[in-house]
Amino acid sequence: MLALVVAHLVVAALLPLVSRRSRRAAFGVAAVLPAATLVWGLANLPAVLGPGPAPSETHVWASALHLEFGFRLDALGVVMIVLVGGLGALILAYSAWYFGKDSRDAPRNSALLLAFAGAMLGLVLADDLLTLYLFWELTSIASFLLVGQGGLHRANRRAAVQALLVTVMGGLAMLLGIVIVGESAGTYRISEIVAAAQQGAGPAGGLAATGIVLILIGALTKSAQFPFHPWLPGAMAAPTPVSAYLHAASMVKAGVVLVGRLSPAFADRSYWWVPIAVLGLVTMLVGGWRALHETDLKRLLAFGTVSQLGFLMVLFGSGDRIGEIAALTMLLAHGLFKAPLFMVVGIVDKVTGTREVGALSGLGRRLPGLAAAATLAAASMAGIPFLLGFLGKEAAFEAFVHDGDWVLALGLLLGSIFTVAYSARFLWGAFATKAGVEATEPRPVVPGLSVPTWIAAFTGLVLGCVPPLTDALARNYAAAYPAEDAVAADYHLALWHGLSLPLLFSAVALIVGATLHLQRARVTGLHTALRHPLSAQRGYEVTVGGIERFAVWVTGRIQAGSLPVYLGVLLLTVLVLPGLALVFGGTLPATVPGYGSLMQLPLGLVIVACAAALTRVRRRFTAVLLVGAIGYAIGGLFVVDGGPDLALAQFLVETLTMVAFVFVLRRLPAHFDAGPRVGRGIQLRKAALATVAGVFVAVAAVVLSGARQEPPAVSGEFVARAPEAGADNVIAAILVDFRALDTVGEITVLLIAAAGTASLVLATRHDKKGKSGRVESGGGTPEHEEEIAG
Amino acid sequence: MSTLVTLPVLLPILGAALSVIFVRQATLQRLIGIVVLVAVCVVAAVLLVAADRTGPVVVELGGWPAPVGIVLVADRLSALLLLISTVVTLAVLVYAIDQRISDYGRDTASTTFHPIFLLLSTGVSLAYLTGDLFSLFVAFEIMLAASYVLITRRTNAERIRSGMTYVIISLTSSLLFLTTIALVYASTGTVNLADLAGRVAALPPGLRTLLSMLTIVTFGIKAAMVPLHFWLPDSYPNAPAPVTALFAGLLTKVGIYALLRTQTLIFPGDGPSAVLLVLAVLTMVVGALGALAQNDLNRLLSFLLVSHIGFMLFGLAVDDARGAAGTALYIVHHITVQATLFLVSGLITRRTGTVSIDQMGGLARRSPVLAVLFAVPALTLAGIPPTSGFVAKLALLQAGAAGTVGTVVVAGFVVLASLLTLWAVVRVWIRVFWGADKEPLPDDDPHDELVIGTSKTSAPMYVASAALVAVSIAIAAAAGPLSAVTERAGADLIARVPYLEAVLG
Amino acid sequence: MTATPEQKIPFEQWDAPSGEWTLPGACPVRTNRTLLLEAATRFLFPVVLVFSVYLLIVGHYAPGGGFQGGLTAGLAFVLRYIAGGGSEGVEIGSRLRLRPPVLMGTGLLLAMITAFAPVLVGRPVLSSAKVSFLGVEVVSSLLLDVGVYLLIIGVVLDLLRSLGSGIERDAEAGQGERP
Repeated sequence: MLALVVAHLVVAALLPLVSRRSRRAAFGVAAVLPAATLVWGLANLPAVLGPGPAPSETHVWASALHLEFGFRLDALGVVMIVLVGGLGALILAYSAWYFGKDSRDAPRNSALLLAFAGAMLGLVLADDLLTLYLFWELTSIASFLLVGQGGLHRANRRAAVQALLVTVMGGLAMLLGIVIVGESAGTYRISEIVAAAQQGAGPAGGLAATGIVLILIGALTKSAQFPFHPWLPGAMAAPTPVSAYLHAASMVKAGVVLVGRLSPAFADRSYWWVPIAVLGLVTMLVGGWRALHETDLKRLLAFGTVSQLGFLMVLFGSGDRIGEIAALTMLLAHGLFKAPLFMVVGIVDKVTGTREVGALSGLGRRLPGLAAAATLAAASMAGIPFLLGFLGKEAAFEAFVHDGDWVLALGLLLGSIFTVAYSARFLWGAFATKAGVEATEPRPVVPGLSVPTWIAAFTGLVLGCVPPLTDALARNYAAAYPAEDAVAADYHLALWHGLSLPLLFSAVALIVGATLHLQRARVTGLHTALRHPLSAQRGYEVTVGGIERFAVWVTGRIQAGSLPVYLGVLLLTVLVLPGLALVFGGTLPATVPGYGSLMQLPLGLVIVACAAALTRVRRRFTAVLLVGAIGYAIGGLFVVDGGPDLALAQFLVETLTMVAFVFVLRRLPAHFDAGPRVGRGIQLRKAALATVAGVFVAVAAVVLSGARQEPPAVSGEFVARAPEAGADNVIAAILVDFRALDTVGEITVLLIAAAGTASLVLATRHDKKGKSGRVESGGGTPEHEEEIAG
Repeated sequence: MSTLVTLPVLLPILGAALSVIFVRQATLQRLIGIVVLVAVCVVAAVLLVAADRTGPVVVELGGWPAPVGIVLVADRLSALLLLISTVVTLAVLVYAIDQRISDYGRDTASTTFHPIFLLLSTGVSLAYLTGDLFSLFVAFEIMLAASYVLITRRTNAERIRSGMTYVIISLTSSLLFLTTIALVYASTGTVNLADLAGRVAALPPGLRTLLSMLTIVTFGIKAAMVPLHFWLPDSYPNAPAPVTALFAGLLTKVGIYALLRTQTLIFPGDGPSAVLLVLAVLTMVVGALGALAQNDLNRLLSFLLVSHIGFMLFGLAVDDARGAAGTALYIVHHITVQATLFLVSGLITRRTGTVSIDQMGGLARRSPVLAVLFAVPALTLAGIPPTSGFVAKLALLQAGAAGTVGTVVVAGFVVLASLLTLWAVVRVWIRVFWGADKEPLPDDDPHDELVIGTSKTSAPMYVASAALVAVSIAIAAAAGPLSAVTERAGADLIARVPYLEAVLG
Repeated sequence: MTATPEQKIPFEQWDAPSGEWTLPGACPVRTNRTLLLEAATRFLFPVVLVFSVYLLIVGHYAPGGGFQGGLTAGLAFVLRYIAGGGSEGVEIGSRLRLRPPVLMGTGLLLAMITAFAPVLVGRPVLSSAKVSFLGVEVVSSLLLDVGVYLLIIGVVLDLLRSLGSGIERDAEAGQGERP
């Protein structure tokens, strides 16, 4: 199965080569693999439906991280393969004629659509949560690129970003959830988690619950559930084949599929089914209601998709035998009716140049074939008998009526009424002859566009008339759920269940829905009356805008750009972290000797006095002299403590530093830059901070010296081993023998310093102020080259 | 075998010495640089295999045993980081040579670039390998001194000014490091890391916390941990692309490595996980928000760098074998991807003549290669599967999820920071690669080949960038063996025994 | 510098001095000469150089060593520079035309040779041994000290070259200005 997925991606990567020859051929080549996938999936049907274990395979990627490609083909997988592979092949064929021969967008779309098909295939076959996540994000990226297209239009860009941010936000929440669940279950294999949960050994506890809810967030965002749904209508900015494939038939089903995969394990947990039922129902109603008022046919379908996804969500989350049978049936049905509907919109758009309800009129007469296909698909959507949609809807009503779940049952009924109404509205909007609107003159429809549409719509009819085909798959999938009684255990999809409540529900939905459509003027009036400023789209915009403003605000506050502020924060951090540790954890030693030798006192005094004076001087040269004095005094301390080598080095370095300073100072103003006057308060604060920091270091030194438990590890060794190193002078032995590496390291630092000084000084010498006032680098001039290389 | 451990440190010094001597032979200098780095790569690979098979490879320099002399230790962690760092350094060198910042025209050599570049590599190698706190200080000094030169080299007054922030903050951090070493020596009487492990344990808990905090602050500055990060976005963006790439890839990670080494070896268990967790959250969030607020491409990338330092701090804060392993894996991934992004940014800014993303547009159509070169590392940084970023992030999340409630909450921030990262790179994508075509801005300073303003790019620059992209893909592909190594490395770090036994015998 | 070094020298006079080795030569800034300092420098310069070599060699037994020796020698050059000027870049060192970077590189190379040489005889890197050299017992790590010594001199010369470059030019340009 991995091979099949990889083949998609590899061919997609090579597809631009075909596109160079012929753009149509590229779509043709691309359609081969999804078709092959469909054949492969159907060929495996006996194995899936048979009694043995479902076909599966595993490829280990990184075992230390439980990262593996785990695939398994079950009934849900087969249904999704029909959508991903079957519809994929049809839509790619359709695309060949949709994007004309010379379309600049064609090469990109053919490759991306095929890559998406591969990712989607991996997603639906995944039996491992991490595998699933991997393909999940890949489909999000593919969607981003397909919605954005060339990024030339603002609408595309905005929609692409919104779709990406929302779905990836959910995806990342899901990743965290997956990791939590996987860690607490000890496996990332979905079938194993489900098996364990069904035996009462699933992940338990508050943490696991959090993880499960996080996974659910991923599913809700990807399947455009309320309140995350606005990205889906926005994504209609994509070309119609893309919308038909990604945003109707396959990708948006990912969340539903995930719920369907995990429901056998978690459906009895309230934090799983309550949000699914509530949000699913709300989504179904909100989507349906919005669809009733859209004038753009594509957006109408998009809200219809949102509504249907809510419906599917409720069904998959129900955890009920009949409900799950309904779920799988509706999943298949939705793909088979929504994709052709989108394709119809694409054709209408193509041949008339518009998708506006108000601009189209009399198209049904001119294009009867297309109208028939659309009617077939819309009828399935509305749940009219002999079509697959009817079977699913019947089962759905049966599930909740049978359980006595009246809230959900009536909610679904209301949703179905909306569905019937907007199905009618779609047909009316696209094909009806409208009074006062000039009849539209369409260009002829090429068979390349209409044939795939017909195949998809017709499949819905065939499957609707022959329920056992779908029934076998649906019952196989639903077998994972407990049947509460004999009725549930024996439920089969059928056109006729006798005169029953579900049938009544279907009839009510059709009649009321039709009435709603006929009364559309009043409904629209109600919609206008209910207009309010709250909307999910606004919520998204406010959130995104808010975060952006917050980012600017925070960064502006923190990134002050002032060195003194930075140093102040640095010192403050030292005082807060190690400082508090010292205050709470340190104890002063019992006796602290004031000094070791009497000579230390005057030397120390010199250092302190010079350091204090340094803070007040204004003349650079004086400051340099004071720094030098401090250095010499420290050298003096070395002498007192018996380190003549150190002292010698210190004196020499100090002398050299002074010379260097003198060279540098000649280029600088005599006095320190006064700069803008700083207030006394700030100065005092700076002084306080510096003083406290100094005191901290001093106290820490005293405390830590007092805490020493044993003599230094090495001092004795150094003295004892110095003759071994051939030196009477211990310091020399340390420098060139015991710690020779440090010496080598330090001399390289000196080399760097010298080379760096040369490069810096010589480079800036040739800088010139340009005409614009901008400093031009003199680094490339010949004089400079000569000097630097000298 | 043990002599091999010294080569990553000493070979570049040798190369630098020769490079200084043959100052007039530009071609020879380039050859020396490349040969030395290739050799170090090979040595690092051999060391990694050896360390993974037979335990840490230790060399006692001058033949003096541990506390007396300096030891270099190549264990799994240090050998692995050494390898990846050197590979990145090599790619950056090739890029730099081709951008012609390494010299003054084809035939005139520079005294500074090649020697100092090699010495920077010495500093990095020494920091990874040394088993001695003072030697670590020396390594940092070499590294920082070299970086001061590279960041202010061949430049103008404006760039020097921004470089000064870096230099002064770094000097302050060096001062703090030196103070810390003095305090450590005052309380324990040794600077050997393995020896310290035993002696610090004998100190009262309060003082252990004090020393641990001091090291966190010291190395936190190098690692650009919030609130000690501000120098980074103010200074890195102004350096030439390869220099920024090298700094961003390596220098901050050396800080993280030092934190990882000292916290696990010297301050085990009693580590202030809560403090580190808070710092990790701050770093992730502040960095990511900073990136969202930027219009300058390089500044944006710098803020993302800061943000991802938080990821590594998180693994460290979890304070167990998986956390350490996750951090190690994340360092490997991040060194590669961050360097790549800065190199690609160099290509982008050269092509467009500006660093402002608002003034770019439509690049995907004009240069699809560049689009791919940017997209892959950008998605990698955001941790989109199946890239190395995803693998490394997964390791961290797993460590966090298996920890306490606190670590799970911070894992949530990891996920949030990933989202913000993606948002930031998507903003770059839609403005730079999508949208209307914009003409490249005119070159207003033809002498200045360093930062922007010239459309001159050539194949090796692309090849070097593409090679790094390939490396990061390879990291993802080899995630199996790699994560196995980092898992063992993490276990070693927490167990401490292999290291202590190898050094102290 | 009076004589141009590029001048062809007849073979018979190959050992003839081409100029005064220790003298700074012609001073471009003819005003503001401090004769006393110049005269003292003529005397002090070689003495200090010899002393620096002493510090280098004695390092293993008494205070001193390569670092201190190098700094001392460096200060000798500083003295000469301050006294005589003569100044643009390379000529400061001497007539040897040895460029400071090369001096630094040689010092570092020497240090590396000392580091790696023991490996050839099967000893650890950077280890030292007592070697009998012309009857004098010398520790091999002295060579490392020599490397340090050379490098430090190079560093000081390089600093003089870069920081001190253009000092006369600046002085002429800034006549009357006091820093």
